[in-house]
Amino acid sequence: MMAGEGSAAKPRGGRLCTICNGRRAALKRPKTLEQICRECFYEVFEDEIHRVIVDNHLFKRGERVAIGASGGKDSTVLAYVLSELNNRHDYGLDLFLLSVDEGITGYRDDSLETVKRNEIQYGLPLKVVSYKELYGWTMDEIVKLIGLKNNCTFCGVFRRQALDRGATLLKVDKLVTGHNADDIAETVLLNILRGDIARLSRCTSITTGEDGPIPRCKPFKYTYEKEIVIYPYLNMLFTYAYFKKLDYFSTECIYSPNAYRGFAREFIKDLERIRPRAILDIIQSGEDFRISTFTKMPEQGNCERCGYISSQKWCKACVLLEGLNRGLPKMGIGRTRVLDNERDKDTRQTNGTKSIESKQCGTLDF
Amino acid sequence: MACSSGTCQSGCYKEEYSVNDENKTQKLVKANCEGSNGVSARGGVANGHGLCIKCKVNETIAATHPDVTGRGGGDSLRFCTDCFRSNLFGKFKFAVTSNGMITPSDNVLVAFSGGTSSRVALQFVHEMQFRAQKNFDASRDRSLPVFGVGVAYIDESTVLSNDSDRAIDEMNLIVSSLAPPAKHFHVVPTENIYSVDSTARRDRLSELLNAVSDTTGKEDLLVQLRMLALQKIALENGYTKLVLGTCTSRIACHVLEATVKGQGFSLAADIQYVDARWETPVVLPLRDCLTEELKMLCSLDSLKSVEAFQQPRSGINGLISSFVNILREENPSRESTIVRTAGKLTPFCFNRIPEVGNDNSHLASQRRQKKYNLKPNESLPPKSFCLVCNSPLKKPDDTNLDEFYNGKTSAQIYMVACSSCQYQILPKEPSSLEFFYSRLPQSMTALAKDNLNNQKLLRNQIQDCLLSDSDDGT
Amino acid sequence: MQLTLEFGGGLELLCNSVKIHTVDVEPKAEEKKLTMKHLLSWVHTNLIKERPEMFLKGDTVRPGVLVLINDCDWELSGQLDTVLEDKDVVVFISTLHGG
Repeated sequence: MMAGEGSAAKPRGGRLCTICNGRRAALKRPKTLEQICRECFYEVFEDEIHRVIVDNHLFKRGERVAIGASGGKDSTVLAYVLSELNNRHDYGLDLFLLSVDEGITGYRDDSLETVKRNEIQYGLPLKVVSYKELYGWTMDEIVKLIGLKNNCTFCGVFRRQALDRGATLLKVDKLVTGHNADDIAETVLLNILRGDIARLSRCTSITTGEDGPIPRCKPFKYTYEKEIVIYPYLNMLFTYAYFKKLDYFSTECIYSPNAYRGFAREFIKDLERIRPRAILDIIQSGEDFRISTFTKMPEQGNCERCGYISSQKWCKACVLLEGLNRGLPKMGIGRTRVLDNERDKDTRQTNGTKSIESKQCGTLDF
Repeated sequence: MACSSGTCQSGCYKEEYSVNDENKTQKLVKANCEGSNGVSARGGVANGHGLCIKCKVNETIAATHPDVTGRGGGDSLRFCTDCFRSNLFGKFKFAVTSNGMITPSDNVLVAFSGGTSSRVALQFVHEMQFRAQKNFDASRDRSLPVFGVGVAYIDESTVLSNDSDRAIDEMNLIVSSLAPPAKHFHVVPTENIYSVDSTARRDRLSELLNAVSDTTGKEDLLVQLRMLALQKIALENGYTKLVLGTCTSRIACHVLEATVKGQGFSLAADIQYVDARWETPVVLPLRDCLTEELKMLCSLDSLKSVEAFQQPRSGINGLISSFVNILREENPSRESTIVRTAGKLTPFCFNRIPEVGNDNSHLASQRRQKKYNLKPNESLPPKSFCLVCNSPLKKPDDTNLDEFYNGKTSAQIYMVACSSCQYQILPKEPSSLEFFYSRLPQSMTALAKDNLNNQKLLRNQIQDCLLSDSDDGT
Repeated sequence: MQLTLEFGGGLELLCNSVKIHTVDVEPKAEEKKLTMKHLLSWVHTNLIKERPEMFLKGDTVRPGVLVLINDCDWELSGQLDTVLEDKDVVVFISTLHGG
C-alpha cells in the first residue's frame, strides 16, 4: 500500500513495533504504552471497539442505529469505524448519520458540509434536523434576541431533544455518540466539582436512557482521544491527499469561542502526560463509586405540549421556547434549582474567561 | 464555609448555637448559609459599614486586619475576629460531638506535623480539654473525668534526609505552652514501624522506599507509613483516639487524587469524620474547615506553625494540588462542593466509632450523637483490605483463580493489593516484589495474611458458585 | 533546511488559518543540528500569530497537542530532542476541539 506524501521523508527512530516486530513503530499507545506500527494500530484500535461493542451487547442484529454526526473528529471517526466493523463482523445493522443544524452561519453550515461528504464516502444515509424546523428559531436568531449570555443553555437543551426527535423520525432503535474516554473522564470530574451526584452515578454508563424513547450509547467510552485524533492521520486507507477532503471539521463554535479552554480538560491532558492510564482510572472510579440506589429520581412523564419525556408539566425546551416566543427569553433559565445555578454559573464564565469545563455545548450532558 | 451552597447538609452547627444562644443566631447563620455562594458583592452592599455579618456590632476582619485580607479568606473576612473564631471552633466542636469523637474517658493523640491545620487541631483540642478541666475542677462530685491529650510528631528526616532538630525544638515549645493540662509530646522517626534495632530499621525503610519507582506511589506509601507510625505510638501509649488536622481543602484534594488513581470504590472510606479501620480509630474534627480559614486563625491568633518541612506534593498529587488551587481562585466554595459530592457516596461500616462495652460515658456520648449516620444494609463489612494502603477491596474477580491457587508468592501479594497500589507502588518484577514485601513492616504483612485467608475463603465460595451454575450468562 | 509544517485540529487558526507551511529553518549558529526544541521556538516567533498559549506550555507543546514527525509519534523519537533533517514533515494536531 502507498504511504502517501506524508512519509516521503526518512523515518525517525528505528524502533520496531512491539506487536508485529516487523514494521517501524509509529505511535505510543497511551493505554498500554506499547510502541506500535500504523498497521497494528488500526487493527488493535478497531478490534478494541469491536470488543467493547460485543462485550457490552451494544447492538442487536437487525437494529437501526443513528450515529450522531457533528462533522467533528470523534463522530467522523466513529461513523467510519462503525460502518467498517458492521461490514467486517456482519453486525447486521442499518446505520444512519444524524446531524443537528443549529442554524449558526459560518460554523454549522460548514461542518454540515463535512457530514455530507461522509454520507457519500461511507454510503450512510444522512438526516439533518434543524432548530429552525423543530423550534422555529435558528441559534443566530436566538443570539440576536438574547445576546451571548445563556445561549449555550438554549443550544444544549435544544440539541439534546433535536437528536431524539431526529432519531424518532429515522425510526432508529439506538443513537450512538462519539464521546471518548477523555470526555467521560472529564464529565466524572465536572460532576464531582459541581456536586451533581445524580449525573455522577450515570455518566460512566456505556448505555443511557434505556427507559427513555431512544437509548444512547458510547462505543468510544474506552478510546483515548489521542488515538481518535491520530487515527485519520495514520490511516492508510486514504492517501494523504485524499484524506485532506475527509478532514474533520475543527473550527470552534462562534458563540462559545473559548469553549475548549476549560480547566478540567487541561487538567485531564496534564494528567495524561505524566500518567496516561489516569484517564481510564477516572472512568473506573466513576463506575465504582458507591452511590446508594436512588430514592429521589424525578417521576418521568410527558410534556403536555410536545409529548417529549419530562418530569415537569412542560419540558425544558418548551419552557425556553415559550419564553422566546413571548419575548421573555430569561424564562426557564437557572434559578429553579441549586444545581442549575451552579451549572449556569460555570457556563456564564465562559465568555472571555476560563471556565472549568471544555465543551458546554450540551455534549457533556448525556 | 461548611454550608457553602444550597442544601446545607452540615446542619450549620445548629447544635452549637442553640446551646448558647436562641433563635436569633440561628436565623443569622441560616441567612449566611444561603448567601455564602459567591455573594461577597451582595454581602458587601447589605453590609456596607464593614460590620460583622453575624453579630452586626464589631468591625469585620477585612476592616480590622487589612494585612490578612490580601491572602484571600473569602467569606471569613465578613466576620469580626470573635465571631470568626467562635464559628470555626463551632465547626470543630460540632464535628466532635455529633460523631462521638472524644468522650471523657478517652485518651487522645493529636498528630502534629507543624503545619497550620494540625496546629489548629492541637489548639482546639487543647481548648476543649482546658474547658473540661475547668468544669471538672468546679463540679462537686467530679464524676466526669477529663480526657487526656498527647501529641505526636513523626520525624521523617531519614526519608527526606534533612535535619529536623530545630523544628522539633520549636514544636516542643508549642506543645509545652499548651498547659495546663500538660501534654506528652512523642517524637518518633518513621522507621520505628519496624521492630528491629535502630540501624537495621533505617536500612529497611530506605530499601522499602527505594523499591518504589513511581514518584506519586512513593509519596503515598510514605503517608501510609506515617499512619502506621502514629498507630504504633497510640497503641504503645494507651491512646484511644487519633486526631488528624485534615481539613476540607485537603479532603477535596484527596477526593480528586483517589478518583484519578482509580480508587472510586474505597474513596468513601477515607473522607468521613471517623475511620475505625485502624486499631486506634482516626477522627477528623476539622473536616468542615477550609485551609484558608485555618491559616487565617493562625495569623489572627499568632499561632505559631513550623512549616520548615512541609514538602510540596509531587507527581499526580502535585498536579491535583495546583488544579485545586486554580479552582479555589475561580470559586472559593468549590472545595466544599467537592467534599459535599463525595460525602454523598456510601461510607463503610468502619466509618463510625465502634461500640465498645457498656460504660456510661459511652452511652452519654451516644445520646448526643446524631442518628443520621448509616443505614445498616449499606455498610456491610468489606471482605478484605489492601495490603499497602489499607483501602477496602472490591470483590476479587475470578479471572486469576488458577494463578492464585498455583500459589506463587508474588501473585498472592498482588491479589491483596488494590489496583492503584499494584500500579504505582508494587514492583512489577516477581523477585523485586518479594523483596519489597520482605521490607514491609510486620504490622502490614500480618494484616495481609489475614486478608489472604479471607480471600481464599471467598474464592472458594466463588468457585463453588461457578461450579454450581456454570451458564448464567452474566 | 526545508521543512513542511502542518497545523490541524484547530491549531491552524493560530497561524492565519493556513494549514500547511513550507519553511526554511536553520539550526542555531552554535549548534550543528536542528532539534524540535528549536523548531518550536522558531514556530512561536515566526508562524503563531495569536494565542500562543494554545500551542505551547513551558518549553514544549501544550498537553493535548499531538506531534507527528514523518507520520511518527514524536514520543517515539525523543520529543524535544528529536533531530530534524531536510524535507521532514512535522504535523501538529490539537485534540482540544469539539467532537
